[in-house]
Amino acid sequence: MPRPPVTNLWQGILPAMVLMAGFFLLPILYTLGLSLTTEGQAGLTLVNYHRFWGEDTLTDALLRSLALALSVVVIATLFAWPLAWYLAFCVSERRRVLLLLILVAPFWTSFTIRAFSWQMVLADSGIAGTALRWVAGTDVSLGFLYSLPASVFGLGLFGIMLVTLMVYSSMVTIDRRLIEANAVLGGTGWTAFREVVLPLALPGWIIGVALTFIVAVGDYAVPTLLGGGLRPVLAQVMLSVLKGTYDLPMAATLASVLVMVILLCVAPLLLLVRGTRLQS
Amino acid sequence: MTGPIARRALALLFWVTAAVIYLPIGVMAVFSFSTARYQILPSPDYTIEWYGRVFTDGQYSAGFVNSVLLAGSVSLVATLIGFACAYSLVNARFPGKAAFTFLILAPLAVPLLLVGIALRIWTTMLGLQPSLPLAGVGQVLYVLPLAVLNLRNRIAQLPKSHEEAAWALGASRVRAIVDVILPACRASLIATFILCFTFAFDEFVIAYFLTNFSVTLPIKIWTTLVTGFDPTINALGTMVFVFSLSLGVTAQWLLMRKDR
Repeated sequence: MPRPPVTNLWQGILPAMVLMAGFFLLPILYTLGLSLTTEGQAGLTLVNYHRFWGEDTLTDALLRSLALALSVVVIATLFAWPLAWYLAFCVSERRRVLLLLILVAPFWTSFTIRAFSWQMVLADSGIAGTALRWVAGTDVSLGFLYSLPASVFGLGLFGIMLVTLMVYSSMVTIDRRLIEANAVLGGTGWTAFREVVLPLALPGWIIGVALTFIVAVGDYAVPTLLGGGLRPVLAQVMLSVLKGTYDLPMAATLASVLVMVILLCVAPLLLLVRGTRLQS
Repeated sequence: MTGPIARRALALLFWVTAAVIYLPIGVMAVFSFSTARYQILPSPDYTIEWYGRVFTDGQYSAGFVNSVLLAGSVSLVATLIGFACAYSLVNARFPGKAAFTFLILAPLAVPLLLVGIALRIWTTMLGLQPSLPLAGVGQVLYVLPLAVLNLRNRIAQLPKSHEEAAWALGASRVRAIVDVILPACRASLIATFILCFTFAFDEFVIAYFLTNFSVTLPIKIWTTLVTGFDPTINALGTMVFVFSLSLGVTAQWLLMRKDR
């Protein structure tokens, strides 16, 4: 076997590494650090965090973000398992590609445009409101747009797509003989799910749920366009601090809180993936 | 193992979900041809006026040009850097490789808003003025994980023997990459470029934070949406949807085709 020419492969990695360090890692570390400072005062301080916990508008925004992300994750999970099962075990391979494309394609287009198009459907004057009035026969208003549930709805659809995709990609790799063996041993569809498919597709579900949680907890467009501005989520507050008062340390504090929330919620999930991988 | 009734129920669930996902896009497309300024059904009459407005309103066309230039440069840079990185990751062994791969993929696990805010704070500290090129650097970060993942998978599939034959014939590492690896990755490179373009073209948050006065199409759409409704958005949204959809389908088709 010829020996590879002597070149330092580091050269290939260098551009990506410089970019990642200079425009991703350092900015985030700097932002985390900035949250520990305040204007007109030297040294590190926790004053921003005290302010955060002291202000109801800020803690409420955090709770709303959490409620939003958790509801989205639950809804996505409830839909994703049956949908992934359908795609993985109930349709032919050719059809599967087409169905996956149908499910994923709308999400290639801009998040903003999708959120806005839901505005038209969910508004009281939109399709949903008109349909409700027609069914009810009286002038009732839907009152759904500009509420937290409307944000859950908008992001929930995205979550369903993502988690379905991830669970599905784990499910298709399952060796069919395991399922046949389950049937030979007298198992039903339900035991096949519980004993074979569920444990093997769990890593896909965890990754899908983690990514969905991250998007939902940090999204700004859907909560603004569908949730409205009266009861903002953390991302909306963060933006108004940044663009409104230019209080960079406070914006950095809100960003750091978001980082911590994500680490606290997602890290255990990822450790779980590691655990399941090691077992199998 | 799934009974016929369960199978029907699952198919129904799939099609209902798909219908709900497509409903607003269909509604938007219908309204884009409506003469009514507001969404009322049935539409009084049909027109292509709003589509004309997209092209005559200078701000939309300026935004479109900016977006195409920005997304084009971003995906070109991301594809090149991504290829170099993917090739090295497949072939090199060095301490901390796992950690480095993790770092490259990390932007996928951080909300865009955080990347945008951190970059804005960081560049303000460095004294850099917000501008399109700066937004471009931020967007490269955002699409780089995609490029690296796609290209790494492809390069890892290639038989090692072809490259080794080139070396045996005296080719240098770079020469072998140019003559052997690059041609074998052509479809993946094009697909990666298109995919990165689609994501960069629609990216809003980073561009919003890192530009001041330059307007990309997503920023123009956003400011129009939050400052008051303009039916032109329906036409524009429909066009952007069709545009992104065709790019995405082309990229996926290229990625699947190479497997043969």
